[in-house]
Amino acid sequence: MSTSGADSLKPSAFIPVCTAACLLFGSTSLFFVFTCPWLAVSISPAVPPCCAVIFLFVLANFTMATFMDAGVLPIANEDEDKEEDFRAPLYKNVDVKGVQVRMKWCGSCHFYRPPRCSHCSVCDHCVEDFDHHCPWVNNCIGRRNYRYFFMFLLSLTVHITAVLTFGLLYILNHREELWELHCTVTLVVVSISGLFLIPVLGLTGFHLYLVFRGRTTNEQVTGKFQGGVNPFSRGCCKNLEYLVCSPISPKYTGRSFKKTTVHVQPPFLRPEIDRQMPLKLKDNGIQSKDVSKKVGFITLSDTSQIKPPPPLPPKPDHGLLKSHLAALDSMLTLASEQQTNSRSQERSRGSPVAGIQPGHDTSQSQASLHTNTIAGSLPLSSLTLNSRSLTLKHNSHHGNKGSNPQPGIMSATNLFPNHNSLSYDNLMSSPDLHMLSQRGGATMSCHPHFMTLASDGSLVQRPPPPHAYSPVFMGVARQSPHISSRDVPPPSAAARYDNFSKTIMASIHERRDIEERDRMLRLHGRPQPLFGVEMGIYDIPSRRSLPPDNIRQTGSRGPTPPAYGSREFLMSTGILGYGIRSSPLSSSSTSSLTRGPRTSTSPLQTSSSSSLQTKGRTSSPLLGPADRQPQPLPTFTATLPRKPSLSSAPSYATYATTKRSSLSYGSEKDSPTAGTLK
Amino acid sequence: MATEIHNLQELRHNASLATKVFIQRDYSEGTLCRFQSKFPSELDNRIERSLLEETVKTLNSYYVEAEKIGGQSYMEGCLACATAYFVFLCMETRYEKVLKKISGYIQEQNEKIYAPRGLLLTDPLERGMRVLEISVYEDRGSSSSSPSSSSMSSACSTAR
Repeated sequence: MSTSGADSLKPSAFIPVCTAACLLFGSTSLFFVFTCPWLAVSISPAVPPCCAVIFLFVLANFTMATFMDAGVLPIANEDEDKEEDFRAPLYKNVDVKGVQVRMKWCGSCHFYRPPRCSHCSVCDHCVEDFDHHCPWVNNCIGRRNYRYFFMFLLSLTVHITAVLTFGLLYILNHREELWELHCTVTLVVVSISGLFLIPVLGLTGFHLYLVFRGRTTNEQVTGKFQGGVNPFSRGCCKNLEYLVCSPISPKYTGRSFKKTTVHVQPPFLRPEIDRQMPLKLKDNGIQSKDVSKKVGFITLSDTSQIKPPPPLPPKPDHGLLKSHLAALDSMLTLASEQQTNSRSQERSRGSPVAGIQPGHDTSQSQASLHTNTIAGSLPLSSLTLNSRSLTLKHNSHHGNKGSNPQPGIMSATNLFPNHNSLSYDNLMSSPDLHMLSQRGGATMSCHPHFMTLASDGSLVQRPPPPHAYSPVFMGVARQSPHISSRDVPPPSAAARYDNFSKTIMASIHERRDIEERDRMLRLHGRPQPLFGVEMGIYDIPSRRSLPPDNIRQTGSRGPTPPAYGSREFLMSTGILGYGIRSSPLSSSSTSSLTRGPRTSTSPLQTSSSSSLQTKGRTSSPLLGPADRQPQPLPTFTATLPRKPSLSSAPSYATYATTKRSSLSYGSEKDSPTAGTLK
Repeated sequence: MATEIHNLQELRHNASLATKVFIQRDYSEGTLCRFQSKFPSELDNRIERSLLEETVKTLNSYYVEAEKIGGQSYMEGCLACATAYFVFLCMETRYEKVLKKISGYIQEQNEKIYAPRGLLLTDPLERGMRVLEISVYEDRGSSSSSPSSSSMSSACSTAR
């Protein structure tokens, strides 16, 4: 019955139930006393027992409906409550058998009401499968007691019908004794029965209808499933079966829970975490050492035992990036080393820096400052520079851009991280274009903390780009056109490429192609580069395999995507995104856009690849790389991290495979790339 | 106490409740009791996915068994009707029996799997079968203010 509801405990709340009880008991008793003896004699001796059984059934169901817990949900703890309050939307949608059902936040009970649950204002609690609050039993009718209520109605109907019938029979047989006691009483009983038969029969019929439709009174009255599909209905017969035969669900409130003591004592076991940071951290020297120390120390009894090293600032793709950076660094270091050895002093100063520079994220640049300081304090000479380059190689990866500053700049270098690039700038101004190409990109990559180099070698204070995901890639990318134009990719570097992750390779390749085509466009100003651009230079791995050969200058490598995280990459994706939107040709891309806001940017690959399939290279033919500077889309951040792994996953040779993967990826359902990155 | 000093050095830790993770109900199949098998991200570094998923799966299967409409539920219904529901005073329903089994299972899981990892499952029944609550305990570190060297025991949640 009622637990804590204020209204249900009011004296006035008891009036209907008392009235109902009195009427039921009273009338039936009178019937049994005054009418049944004649019935037993005149009609059949079985009549009274049957009536008694029915009445017993009515009573039992009435008692159960009145006193049984309807399925009251206990109020949620504060702990659970806190979780909800922050977001606190009023409704939460949940999918029930394909139908969207709204769960409303219950302010009194502090949880989102499960489907079919409702809050009873009389009893002031939420009831599972809430039907209604019945005043005649002064109780909520819900999941646990609905069958008793229904049975009560049924049996009451039968009982009232029986009493009415037999009473009428009696009266009809005693018309001449109508004003005798027996007859009068029977007349009264018949009148009451007749009076209540109509509403009770109506209610019974109504609930029979509800049971067959699988609805509750609450749902019927509020018109929830009026026009649509009722996901809670199991079909006519199954609903009836569920009503009658389903097990009674347990009571949630007023239950005595066994107190069991479970010891929770540290040290706690931790699962082995599959680290996503393949730590080729030779370049991360200082930090990694510290980190490993820390991790090693926390062997058993600390919760952070298996946690990844904390010190580096959070970046979504940090771990992945590190591995790439490490790989790239080693490649470039080797390349630069060779150059260093063969070059003049001036150049050699820069080379190790170049080798080390690419792709250090900002956090590492901080550390690099220290190493640079250390390095800068060493006397400068060609010999020492060479050795220092080795030292720097060991220590840095952290944007050792200016790790070998010229003497005049040394002091400055030691002071500010920017001066790392300052020295770099000097190196950049060296006449050797090849070196320049190598270094320039590296300079760019140290972006957020360093002054950057303009294309002419002058120092430029550049604000951090809005999407400097991976400086390393930018740096690497920028190397590509120069290198390609020289047609001299460092053989060692090329050899190194084979060892790198496909992501890096892809990024490098793509970057080079982009730069190349950009140059082509500028130089020749033909639409063909446009066409070539459209051919998937920008970011779609699948398209990369389809570049027109006449566009590509270098035959050394296949088409490459823009360097992951590079500005060009970002710009290109933006271009592509815009292009897709504006292009009337790629209907498939448009359809992917309508799926939702994120699909507008992320399945750039998807849409363009699909359009590639259907229409060839039409997705973004309208775009010229130099023509637009698209605004980066906000969803880039969400989508970009997925791209490199997508590009890296299939080999570039398998165009179809890539496309398939990008298509499936574009559906944005459990993208394995996202899982990888996360 | 001399043991205090030792405690500090012995790395005796106490556990304190850090947070609670809630696994919500899965309503995709209607109002049948079923919990989501999605692994909460907060437990990523606390417990293996497979263990928690196995627990949830087992619990779901228990609930399916409890709510099954079949021979036994028919019998119970008929008996109840025939005895004017007096049978409920004497006999335990099938659902209640399964709930007892669930409670035992959760207790066992807590002892064997979750408590060693600093977690505790709460019987969903205590939460009205709306959520599966997992209490996450953190190592508070050895504390000089706690002279006792015994481990701290955390009672299963009995809040109602």
